[in-house]
Amino acid sequence: MMRKRNAFIPAILLILLILLLQPLYAAENDLESRVRKFTLKNGIRVLLLERPLSPTVSLYIRQRAGAVDEVSGKSGTAHLLEHMMFKGTTTIGTRNYKSERDVLKKIRTTGRQLDLERRKADGADAKAIETLQTKLKALQEEHKRWLIPNELDRIYTENGAEAMNAGTGQDLTTYHVSLPSNKIELWARIESDRLQNPVFREFYKERDVIMEERRQRIETNPGGKLAEQFFAAAFQAHPYGSPILGWPSDMRFLSMDDVSAFFHQARAPHHTVIAAVGDINPRETLAVIRKYFENIPAQKTEPPFITEEPPQSGERRVEVIFDAKEQLMIGYHKPPPPAQDDYIFDVIEAILSRGRTSRFYRTMVEGLKIAESVDTANGMPGARYPNLFAIFATPRHPHECRELEQAIDAELERLTREPVPEQELQKVKNQMKADFIRSLNSNSGLASMLSYYEVLIGDYRYLTDYIRVIDTITPAGVMQAAQKYLRKENRTVATLVPKRAPSVQSGQPVNQKPKNEK
Amino acid sequence: MKNKIRILLCLCSLLLVAPVTAAEQRRTFHPDRLTYKPLRFTPPQAQRHTLNNGMIVYVLEDHELPLVNVSAIFGTGSVHDPAGKAGLSELTHRVMRTGGAGSLSGDALDDLLAFHGISCSFSAEMDMGSAHLSVLKQDFELGLDIFSRILRQPRFAEDKLQIAKDLSIEGLRSIRDNPPGYAFREFRKLLYRDNPRGNLYTALSVKGLQRSDLIDFHQRFFHPQAVMLAITGDVTTTEAIRLAGRYLGDWQAPGRPETTPPPAGRKNGAIHYLHKEIPQSVIVSGHLAPSKRDQDFYAFTVLDFILGSGGFRSRIFQEVRSERGLAYSTGSFYKARHDYGAFGAYAMTRSSATTAVLALLRDLIKDVKTKGVTKEELSWAKKSINNSFIFSFQAADQIASQQMMLEFDSLPQDFLMKYPERIDRVTAEDLQRTAGRCLNREKAVTLVLGDEKAFDAPLSTLGEVIRIEGDL
Repeated sequence: MMRKRNAFIPAILLILLILLLQPLYAAENDLESRVRKFTLKNGIRVLLLERPLSPTVSLYIRQRAGAVDEVSGKSGTAHLLEHMMFKGTTTIGTRNYKSERDVLKKIRTTGRQLDLERRKADGADAKAIETLQTKLKALQEEHKRWLIPNELDRIYTENGAEAMNAGTGQDLTTYHVSLPSNKIELWARIESDRLQNPVFREFYKERDVIMEERRQRIETNPGGKLAEQFFAAAFQAHPYGSPILGWPSDMRFLSMDDVSAFFHQARAPHHTVIAAVGDINPRETLAVIRKYFENIPAQKTEPPFITEEPPQSGERRVEVIFDAKEQLMIGYHKPPPPAQDDYIFDVIEAILSRGRTSRFYRTMVEGLKIAESVDTANGMPGARYPNLFAIFATPRHPHECRELEQAIDAELERLTREPVPEQELQKVKNQMKADFIRSLNSNSGLASMLSYYEVLIGDYRYLTDYIRVIDTITPAGVMQAAQKYLRKENRTVATLVPKRAPSVQSGQPVNQKPKNEK
Repeated sequence: MKNKIRILLCLCSLLLVAPVTAAEQRRTFHPDRLTYKPLRFTPPQAQRHTLNNGMIVYVLEDHELPLVNVSAIFGTGSVHDPAGKAGLSELTHRVMRTGGAGSLSGDALDDLLAFHGISCSFSAEMDMGSAHLSVLKQDFELGLDIFSRILRQPRFAEDKLQIAKDLSIEGLRSIRDNPPGYAFREFRKLLYRDNPRGNLYTALSVKGLQRSDLIDFHQRFFHPQAVMLAITGDVTTTEAIRLAGRYLGDWQAPGRPETTPPPAGRKNGAIHYLHKEIPQSVIVSGHLAPSKRDQDFYAFTVLDFILGSGGFRSRIFQEVRSERGLAYSTGSFYKARHDYGAFGAYAMTRSSATTAVLALLRDLIKDVKTKGVTKEELSWAKKSINNSFIFSFQAADQIASQQMMLEFDSLPQDFLMKYPERIDRVTAEDLQRTAGRCLNREKAVTLVLGDEKAFDAPLSTLGEVIRIEGDL
C-alpha cells in the first residue's frame, strides 16, 4: 500500500500536467452568464447573481467617491461621512424629526463657531471657547430627547444581519450587509433612505471616535505610520498621498457642512453600483430595488479636479522614527487596471511573493535568512488612478533594512534580465486560477468583487475575463514590464527606524548587552 | 474655485434641511413595520463515516464549483505542550507542513502543491490543532495523498525546524509593536495562570525545542483516534470515502485522545499594568465564564450580546463609543468551549481617558448585575441571535465542520439545532442569576497597557495595581 502510494505521485503528475493544459474556464464562463446587469433610469447599476445554497443574501452598495475626491484641507471627509451614515435618517433614529431638526441646526451652527474660534490657536478667545463649549454640550443634551441612538444598527441586527459594515477607500465608499434572503426589502428600505435622507446625529462625538481610530491605526501602529509617510512621499501631487483617515489637523476641524457637501457629490446615482448575491429571485429582487432606488433623482457631476502625479524623476527615501522593530516599504509607480501592464504586475506579485515557493520567500526568508517576511501588493493605495507596485518587508534580527533592500533589488533586477522560466510562470498561473475559483465560494466575496470592478472600471466582466487575460501573459511581457517600471528613479523607499537600541525582547540574542535586559 | 465650493456648501446645507418631499413621505413608514415571508430551510447534513481504523470522516457534496475542501481537527492544541517546552505544539504543526513527508522533501512538497494551486495548511490553537486542504476537483487524489503523508510520515527536517524556530522568535520580537496583540497575550497569561493554557512560548522555550521533541509530540498525539476529517465539495460521497479509506484507512498508530483539566479561575481583583509609551491605552477585563455544557451557556450568550458583543446597540459600544466618543474599538467577547469559557470587556482609548473608561466598563458590568436588563433589550438580543442563526449554514465546509466539531467536543449532535429554541427560552431572571453568578469583580483579571504618565487619574484610584513586565 505504501509503495503504491509513492509510485502514485509521479504517475499522477504526468496526467495532471496534461489535464492542466486544458483550460479551466468553465467556472468563469459560467459566472459571466449567471450575472445579470440592469441600469435604473437614474443611472444606478444593479448586478444580480443567484446562488441558492443557503437562504441568505449579501448586498453591496459601492459609490465611486472616496478620499481622492476630498477638497484640500479637508482630508478625512469621505471617511467621516461613512461613519455618519450609520446615524440614521429622517425616519430612522428619531422620536420626532421636525423637533429634532431645529436642535441639529443649532448644533451645526454652534459647532461651526466653536471650531472657528479654536482654529485661531494662540489668538483664540478662551472665554468664547468655554461659552460655546457649554452651549454645545447643552444642545447635545437637548438633542438626546429626540434621538434614538444606533437605531439603524438595531434594526439590521435584530433582523439577523451579518457583516453589516462600511468601508472608505481612496477610490470608493462601500456599504454592505448580509441578511436572511427574505429580508431584501428591509435593506432596500434602509439603504435607499440613507442615500437620500441621512441625518448627521452625534457628529462631534463621532469626530472624536475617528481621532481614536487614527490613534489605533496610525499613531500606535508602526506599519500604519510607515505606510502613511510612504504614500505621502510617493504621491507629491496626486491625492493618493493623503491618508484616508485624514491628517490630524484637518480631521479635528471637519464640519457637518463639509460632510453634507461630500455626501451630495458621493451619492450620484450614475456613480453607484448595487450587487445582490445569494438565494434571490432575480425578477423579484429587481422589482424591490426599482421600487426603492429608482426615484432617487439623477444627478449631473462634473469631472473631478484630481491633480495628476508628474513622472517621478529620481528615487525618494523617507525615514520614520518609531519605537518598534525595523521595517521597509518600496513602491514603484505603474498604471492601474485594466491596463495590460497591471495584469502583468498581478503575475509579478505572485512570482515574487505568493507562498512558500515564491522568489522572495525562498531567497530571503529561507535562503539568506535575512527576512522575517517579504510581501508584495499590486495596486496601492487605490486603483482609479496610476498607483504603486509595493513591497513590504521586515528584516530578521540582527539584519537591517539596508541588507534586505539589496537582496530585494537583486531579485527585481533578475526579473528585468532573465525571462521567467515557463514552468514557473505556469505554476503562478495555476495558483492564480485556483485562488480565483476559491474566491467564488462566498456570497459576500462575489458581491464585493462584482460591484468593485463595475464601479471601478465600469464593467464587472473584468472579473469574469480575468483568468483568460492572465493566461495570455508571456515571459517576454513580464520582462518588458519589469524593465519599464522597476527602475530606481521610479521608486520610493520608506524605512521604519527604531527610536532606541532595541532592548532585549526575546531571550538573549548574542549581540545584546546584559545591561539592556529586563 | 474657493467661492464655488462655498456656494456649493451653502446649497448643500440647505438641501439637507429641506422639507420632506411627497415622494419621501410615501416611504416614511418605519422599517419595523415591514413583514416578511417565512424562511423555509432544512440545512443539508454531512454524512458520518468511520474508516477501518476508526477515524471519523464527515462528507457533504456541493457541486457548484470544481473544488474539494478537506478540514481536519486534531486533539493536539498547545494545551498539551509539556512543561518547559512551550511552543512545541505550534512548531510541530508548522514543521509537519514545511519539513517534508514520506519520500518528499519540504521543498519538493511545496513545489508540487504550488504547481497544482493546492492550498494546504497546518496550525495549532490553544485547545486543538487543525488543517485545511483546498484543491481543484481533478487534483483531489493528489492533494489527499500529500495530506495523508504529512499527517502520517512527517520528516521534520532539521533545517526547516531551525527556520520555524527562528521565525517564531522573530515574531515575539515584534509583539510589543502591536499594542492590542501584546495586551491580549498578557491577559491570556493572567487569565489562565496555573493552567497549561496560560503557558505561552518564549524565546527561551522555543530555543530549547529539539527535533526529537517534535517526533515525540507527533507520535503521542497524532493517531486515527485523535483526528477527524470533513470532506466537502465537488466529489461524490462514495469517492470521498473510497479515497479517504485508501490514504488514511490503513493508518495504525496507538494512542488515546488526551484531556487537560479546564482552567480553574482564581481570585484576582487587581489591575495589572503594563507600561508602553503610546498615546492610546488598551484595557481588557474579564474572567472565566460558562462552558457550552453549563446550564447558563445560553443566558450568558444573551448577556454578553447585550453587554458588548451585539454591535452598536450593545451597552459598552453605546456608552463608550457612541455616547462619549472615547474609543473606536470597544465591546465584549465570550468564547465558550465544551469544558470552559472566557469572557472579557475591552476598549482602546486615549491615554487621558484610561481610568475613566476602565471605571465605566466596571460600572456597565455592575449595572447589568444589579439592575438587570430591560424587556426590550432581552427581546432585541434574542431576536438578533436567532435571526442570524441561518448564517451557520452558508457553505458545505462550514456545515460539515460544525458537525465534526460537535462530535470532537462530545457535545450532542442536536446541540446546534436546539440552539435557537434554548436562546429563546432565556428569561430576564436567567440573565440576572447568571450575571450574579458569573460577573464577579473579585474574580476579574484586568490588564491596562499604556503610558501612566498621561492617564487622567492613577489606576490605583480604582484598586490595587500590580505592575507587570511582558515576558517574551
